[in-house]
Amino acid sequence: MTGKKEARARRALLGAGGYHGTGILLAIFFLAPFAITILSSFRHGTEARLPPVPPWPTTGFSLDAYRSLDSFGAGVWQHTLNSAAVAIGTALLTVVVSLLAGYGFSRYRFMFKNALFVLIIATLMIPFQSILTPLFIILARLGLNNSLIGLTLVYVTLQLPFSVFMMRNAFDAVPKEIEEAARIDGARDLRLLVRVLLPLVLPGIVTVAIFAFLNSWNEFLAALVLLSDNSKFTLPILISAVRAGRLGAIDWGAVQAGVTVMSVPCLFVFLLLQRYYMRGLMAGAVK
Amino acid sequence: MSDSGVQLTEVRKSYGSMEVIHGVNLSIPDGAFVVFVGPSGCGKSTLLRMIAGLEEVTDGEIAIKGREVTDVDPSQRGIAMVFQSYALYPHMTVRDNLAFGLKMQRTDKAVIDERVAAAAAILKIEQLLDRRPGQLSGGQRQRVAIGRAIVRQPEVFLFDEPLSNLDAELRVSMRVEIARLHRELGNTMVYVTHDQTEAMTLADVIVVLRDGRIEQSGSPRTVYEDPDNAFVAGFIGSPRMNLLDAVWRGDGKVELAGRMEAAPIAGAGLVPGDKVTFGLRPEHLIVGAAGGIEARVDVLEYLGGTRYLYCQLTDGQPLIVEYRDGPDVRSGDSITLGCPPDRRYIFNEGGLRIR
Repeated sequence: MTGKKEARARRALLGAGGYHGTGILLAIFFLAPFAITILSSFRHGTEARLPPVPPWPTTGFSLDAYRSLDSFGAGVWQHTLNSAAVAIGTALLTVVVSLLAGYGFSRYRFMFKNALFVLIIATLMIPFQSILTPLFIILARLGLNNSLIGLTLVYVTLQLPFSVFMMRNAFDAVPKEIEEAARIDGARDLRLLVRVLLPLVLPGIVTVAIFAFLNSWNEFLAALVLLSDNSKFTLPILISAVRAGRLGAIDWGAVQAGVTVMSVPCLFVFLLLQRYYMRGLMAGAVK
Repeated sequence: MSDSGVQLTEVRKSYGSMEVIHGVNLSIPDGAFVVFVGPSGCGKSTLLRMIAGLEEVTDGEIAIKGREVTDVDPSQRGIAMVFQSYALYPHMTVRDNLAFGLKMQRTDKAVIDERVAAAAAILKIEQLLDRRPGQLSGGQRQRVAIGRAIVRQPEVFLFDEPLSNLDAELRVSMRVEIARLHRELGNTMVYVTHDQTEAMTLADVIVVLRDGRIEQSGSPRTVYEDPDNAFVAGFIGSPRMNLLDAVWRGDGKVELAGRMEAAPIAGAGLVPGDKVTFGLRPEHLIVGAAGGIEARVDVLEYLGGTRYLYCQLTDGQPLIVEYRDGPDVRSGDSITLGCPPDRRYIFNEGGLRIR
């Protein structure tokens, strides 16, 4: 009797140990690059030029790398601000447009609705690199080349097909009766959308916002091609300049600092919103 | 006009070129409990949604309490609706669910609180006010949905199959509750269901619909005892009425399975030799009646209080008999069946009742 019980307890312990052990191992595997980057960004200027073993500061904590990073381009603050403006602007605009478009595609009946929707989705099949030149020309005609607003508009355009698809699914998952009940209760148009439907599609909105933010925050090629003014560069371009080095010498400390500056907001946004994001992805999946 | 709760005049509805409601005329008296029944796809929900203003009316007119509302916004019609799926706002507490409509009308907060409390008291959901719909059982959700309707103090309550999502036991108790609510509030109620028990027990007036047309409307007793046509006769009643092929032989006689049966009609409009449908309700058939029609029992269902005999006439036509008391019957047995003359229904070839 007791032997059996002990055996069972031992097996349970082994199982739990294996489960958590594997989890911890995987977590280390994924977190190590972050830890190495962040830690080594705090090494002394001289130490930063040495091979990165061990990766943590051995001669004391220092902000040299960040100071060095700030000496590139128009200063790291300016570029972070540029990136933040573009990413937040893209996220907001994408959410607003895809919210309205998704609602329309989900709820209204109009001519060529399905054809139009397929057309929007089909643009996902076009590699955007192939339309960079026309985009550049269009922006130039509009007087929006070398402007952060122009870049934001390009990002929103690239982000919309997926976002509209996501939001249509989110609205499809909301039972029609809820909307009808709200109409009987006297909520119409914008009030209906904001008071009743918005909370129900919030997971979808968060998903769209996260994708828009991360994609535009990290985007490199379009920013490189469309922006020509040093002071307007976004962070990825700054980092590439840092990585290219000065006079043949690469300041690895500055590179690590740049990577840290770039990745922290992404982590922050994701951790803050991941709860909704997971729900949003799943709502889209089962529908 | 003031005695009419809801008035439908030549109401039509088309989707593109397909007409689904074909000119419905109906006057619902103020304070009546009216039930729309019919098979799925008969247009009963569409008709209700047109009264609610959720479906556009293609042609015709709808008036509520004498006021024409055909193109009026749903919130301005003086109606409240209870949906089959409850349609509660999942992100709001029960209290906010109840208050939402009044808030949209910018009602005074004190009035809102008072009405929410009153509705909660009627439905006994006071202790649930701070919960969210996700934390409620099906029956509780349905109460909240009804509460949301009560709070609006509408002229007309609209119910769209409100009990279909509940289990059998709860359905019975909610049915009683809705009847009680109607007695207490005295409002006009329009109720859609495909469950004829609900229809028979709740209704002052039953409206039987088929393919977007009213087949008959009247009290439960009228549609059961005096159906206008074979469809209504077959639809109301459970198990359904036996509709047997027979031939009119004139002089108050029909030929059924090779036998002459008395039919309690003069036979106006019928010529001897015309095909007719002979309607007999299972519950009116008397097993073992002397000189009755012969049948063989195929299957026997024992339900405790009663038994259903699935029989075949000598010409092979199937027939259901409800058998309450009497000697045991087994499948394979031959029985004779009788029926009182005033419980025999004759329908012509087009299905219309011949009286």
